[in-house]
Amino acid sequence: MKKLDISELDVLALMRYDACTRCGECTATCPTGGEAQDIELVTPRGKILRLREFYKKQYGLKARLFGPAEIPEADLKELASRAYECTICGQCKIVCPAHLDTIEMWENMREFLVANQLAPLPPHEQIVKSIENYDNPWMQPRTQRSRWSKRIEKEIKIKDALKEKPEVLFFVGCTAAYDPNIKDMAIDTARVLARAKVDFGTLGNEEGCCGSTLLRTGLKDSARRMVEKNIERFEEASPSLIVASCAGCYKTIKQDYPKVGKVGARVLHMTQYVNDLIDEKRLVLDRKVEGRVTFHDPCHLGRHSKLYDEPRRILESIPGIKLVEMERTREESRCCGAGGGVKTAFPELAEKISALRIEDAESAGADMLVTSCPFCYQSLKASIDAKGSKLRMSDLMELVRNSLQG
Amino acid sequence: MSDGRYLKDKAWLYLPFFAGLLIISAIILLLPYETVYVGSRTYLRFFLVTIVLCVGVFFLGTLYNVLLWMRGKGLVGSPEGRLVRLIPKAVRFFLSRRFGKASAVLVKDALYLSKLKDRSATRWLMHLLILGGFIATFVLDLIVTFSLDLLRYEPMISETGWAKVWIRDFGFELAGTMMLLGLVIAAVRRFVQKPKIVRTELPDAVSIVFLLVVVLGGFLLEGIGLLANMPGHEVNHEYSFLGYALSLAMPSSWGQYYDQVWLVHGVMSALFIAYIPFSKLFHMIATPIAIEAEQMLPSGVRT
Repeated sequence: MKKLDISELDVLALMRYDACTRCGECTATCPTGGEAQDIELVTPRGKILRLREFYKKQYGLKARLFGPAEIPEADLKELASRAYECTICGQCKIVCPAHLDTIEMWENMREFLVANQLAPLPPHEQIVKSIENYDNPWMQPRTQRSRWSKRIEKEIKIKDALKEKPEVLFFVGCTAAYDPNIKDMAIDTARVLARAKVDFGTLGNEEGCCGSTLLRTGLKDSARRMVEKNIERFEEASPSLIVASCAGCYKTIKQDYPKVGKVGARVLHMTQYVNDLIDEKRLVLDRKVEGRVTFHDPCHLGRHSKLYDEPRRILESIPGIKLVEMERTREESRCCGAGGGVKTAFPELAEKISALRIEDAESAGADMLVTSCPFCYQSLKASIDAKGSKLRMSDLMELVRNSLQG
Repeated sequence: MSDGRYLKDKAWLYLPFFAGLLIISAIILLLPYETVYVGSRTYLRFFLVTIVLCVGVFFLGTLYNVLLWMRGKGLVGSPEGRLVRLIPKAVRFFLSRRFGKASAVLVKDALYLSKLKDRSATRWLMHLLILGGFIATFVLDLIVTFSLDLLRYEPMISETGWAKVWIRDFGFELAGTMMLLGLVIAAVRRFVQKPKIVRTELPDAVSIVFLLVVVLGGFLLEGIGLLANMPGHEVNHEYSFLGYALSLAMPSSWGQYYDQVWLVHGVMSALFIAYIPFSKLFHMIATPIAIEAEQMLPSGVRT
């Protein structure tokens, strides 16, 4: 009989499983369980009740008195698979009347599933191998990481942070560094930093994956190794500020790294930093950029980090931009469907969710959909193309760069 | 971990726990109960034995659930040892300034349900009525028992005393009415309207029906007492407004069954208390603890 090891579930998580009132508020707005597919076991309530039922069968009072009950392997595997059909977007945390921190619960549930050999799922194993072997989830060689910067090397001086020790370390992230369709995001960010005369650099080919993918899929031990390596590099580069343009990298460095080791530098997302640069008049956005723009709040930036105003303030600073809000915005923002390993393991589900987000943007009357996360960008752009929508996908830094004279 | 340490942890937890349980049981059994309404001393004794057993089951069930939490990641030692070491931390937390802030969070989030209010006024009202009525009944029970059996407070005993009229009659009636209204909303929502987010399984149905039986039993008992003009029910009927309305609709012959209904209501209430740790109603205890623990536990436990 397979005995579940519940010592991998956090004390607080175990409390929270009992604190769930089964009210179902989370089921209505859950992008994967309630909206894209009506499957109770994918919803937060479904997962909580099923896992609680399983461990109580083996550790509850009845189990203590009459012995633990066997849980069929198929049922355990079903729970594991359904648990990964979750983007960890945090919408359930926002609506939960019992104030359960579901983001922590889902990440911890995945750690528990990994510890009990029920996860990761086969598609995630490929990514894990890639991160462990190449320091990135895209199976790309380390030597290609800084290739994105070749296009602007004559135009901009990007310092080697490990050798030249700039004041600001620009943490590029794997998606912007390797995906040929997203590279412009890194290029635009570098151009914006250069225009503000920021003394900045990158870790170049020495930058490692931030570990977000590993953490979100429950692989805490593998993530720890990545995090430790990156912290060592941060220490070596010793910047006073780390700026990440990827929402996932930002959340991970800001919130998860301090649990492993000390990050000496201040950590900001690019939207925060650009806001500061605009306030200090180091960036002057004076060129008109025409468009009815709607902003998609990336989950890692919005619900996970509570940064809602910064990107909007930047958009409002750009002459010619008319900002329109989608019906579901800010903390109620609908997820793009890609996060939490969903796009890797369940691409069709991810597409279904991103298509809903595109409909949100179209209904708002926007002609441009803007975001601040390469992963959301990738997913929403694919959905715009698949749907044949007239919306134009844009990264916030692209608009900022376009608004700079010269 | 050594056997000695393990046994020591167990002793530190279970000895005070059972001593506390023994003291509570002794208090329940040894109070004089000279002013209770039930006439049969046999029924009273049967009820007292039942309530002692049920309170024991409630505390044991709660302790068992808490020890299950203690098996989780983030703390070291046996579950008993972890709990024993957390108790002084919890006491220090209650005595610290942080507790003031934490209590405000507790009242706002766990009792007032601020988040639910913004999302659904009906469900917020429903929950507030049930929880508010439940807490009010519990507090009133403590006040009445203390003032009757220990203080022998005359205004609580006399038929026309202010405390008898406003606390024993009106207070309980109001708390019961709150619970009844909340439960009716819950039952209509769950069994008639059936919105998509509601899933009714046995534990959901049992919790509502059980609580409804207990609350309605209380009103029925009050009505029978008023109908029969039992001692304590002779004047000021209108303060027990719902029980009084029920008494007007009852056949006069029901008056003779007061003691039997009292016993059934008492035993059902006791069984309900025992049921809490094993039901979805345990969230009444777990939710406030989870909210407070988030602020109290060392950060390592939360990672």
